[in-house]
Amino acid sequence: MKKIFAALASIRLAVILIAYLAAAGVAASLVPQGHRADYYAERYPHALARAITLAGFSDFFRSPLFLAPAALFFLNLGACTVGRFARERRRPARRHGPDLLHLGLLLLILASVLSFTGRQSGGVRLARGDSVRLPGGRLLDLTDFAYLSYADGRPRDWISTVRVSEGTTVLMEGYPIRVNHPLRLGLLSIYQASSESETVLVLRDSSGLVHDLAPGEETESGGAKLFLVDPGRTGGKARLRVQDASGSRTVDLGSGDTVDGLTVVGSREVLLSGLEAVYDPGFPFVLVSLALAAFGIFLTFFQKLRDMGASES
Amino acid sequence: MSILPSLAFVLILASALVQVVFLFGRGRTADPVSHWLLAAAAAILAALIAARSASIGFPALTGTFESLVFYALTVCVLAAAYRLQGRLVFMPFVQFGATIAAAALLAVASSPIAPRQMLAPIPALRSFWLVAHVAFSFVGESFFVVSFVSALALLLSRDEERRRAYDRITYTSIAVGYPIFTTGALIFGAIWAEQAWGSWWSWDPKETWALVTWLVYTVYLHVRFVGKWGGSGRRTLPAAVAAAAFLCTLFTFFGVNFLLPGLHSYA
Repeated sequence: MKKIFAALASIRLAVILIAYLAAAGVAASLVPQGHRADYYAERYPHALARAITLAGFSDFFRSPLFLAPAALFFLNLGACTVGRFARERRRPARRHGPDLLHLGLLLLILASVLSFTGRQSGGVRLARGDSVRLPGGRLLDLTDFAYLSYADGRPRDWISTVRVSEGTTVLMEGYPIRVNHPLRLGLLSIYQASSESETVLVLRDSSGLVHDLAPGEETESGGAKLFLVDPGRTGGKARLRVQDASGSRTVDLGSGDTVDGLTVVGSREVLLSGLEAVYDPGFPFVLVSLALAAFGIFLTFFQKLRDMGASES
Repeated sequence: MSILPSLAFVLILASALVQVVFLFGRGRTADPVSHWLLAAAAAILAALIAARSASIGFPALTGTFESLVFYALTVCVLAAAYRLQGRLVFMPFVQFGATIAAAALLAVASSPIAPRQMLAPIPALRSFWLVAHVAFSFVGESFFVVSFVSALALLLSRDEERRRAYDRITYTSIAVGYPIFTTGALIFGAIWAEQAWGSWWSWDPKETWALVTWLVYTVYLHVRFVGKWGGSGRRTLPAAVAAAAFLCTLFTFFGVNFLLPGLHSYA
């Protein structure tokens, strides 16, 4: 048992593993990651493409080529940390900076596993006034969306103002989600991911009310269902699929045309906010581990340089 | 404002020239002015960054040109500061190498690969964490410039006293630069990435290469700590690793930007 621990706690093993991870990282950065086998077959010689996919280089950071040495490095670092901590406790002038750094790295590896296995994300595009149901049942309403730009027209910021409610209780009102300023709801975070505009079809019903119909949306009128396929086909006509008593058919409608009691008024551009919801159970632990590692690394080298200065003087 | 980088470049070259005269002259003594020339060049580059920041309304560290100017600035400051450490033997050689590095960075900054137009940052770049990420990374890498020069000097030297002195400079500069680089490139970078993109680590080529750089410097620290490897040339292997690590920082900055597309394509 002692021999196994000594082998695991070897600094030489640590150096070999770190050097391997660095070299493998270099190799993996040169191969585009996360593509299917045919992607590599089209771009590389047959033997190389086969080697890339078989060895797992197409998704290197999830492959045994990376995960097995990383797991061994975790054990090695753990053993080194335990051994070093025990040695330092017996010394009069203790130096626990490296222990804190190593502890931070161990926690970071565990937090990474939690983060990469438990992370979930999904995106929506909302127009002003739209709502979306969040995981857990809460409702997010986009009450306002602003696109701020510089004088030269380049984007400066996108600001989605939202309300979050649960049942009839408003949990948050007027919260501005911006790029670099997400909304935090426990482990769920909502990010401002993008902004885009969309052409919607403007329809007027028989009572004079005006409705917007976005591509992919459906509306009902007089017992018929209308689905907008394309709001602006060639010739300025919108293409809709209509399902009513006479069956299903596709129609191209221009301004002033009527179908099942709905009249096309025209089309307009609507600004959409692209929001991304991310659930990451590992991130709080990542933050703690990074703080621990940062503290440990500064303590380590502050003490080392101070000791060097003292020994010289 | 456009004349400032050229003016700084001239001062750096003048500093290098003065250093050459004194380093390779008969007296082989340290010169009295080269570090002040470097300090003046750094002040001019700082003024340039301040002026560009005022112009775009945000700390001007978001483009290749600005990053190179900031990098050259910190290398100039360090070269001057190290030179003032009179008790460090053979430091003038390292100062000379760092001066050449600063000149090279400014030369690249004035090349077509670093467009000079002043553009206010896109939404993802408008973050305090980005500024801290870039600033800390380059300050850390400036110490790595010093370590690279001293590691090269060690590798080229046969005199044991010199090798010991260069080993010490290499180690101390990495001992200061490594924590700063770790904090800036990896920790602040992860925090910014999480805030901007919702993912603190994406294995983007830039991230991967920053990690590779950090790992190679980690190898240096452990190889030097073990100390026994390499037999009689026990300083050779750590110095070679330190030199290789610095080449990784160069590839992380230049190589990844121009050869490997990813999330950092605008950097």
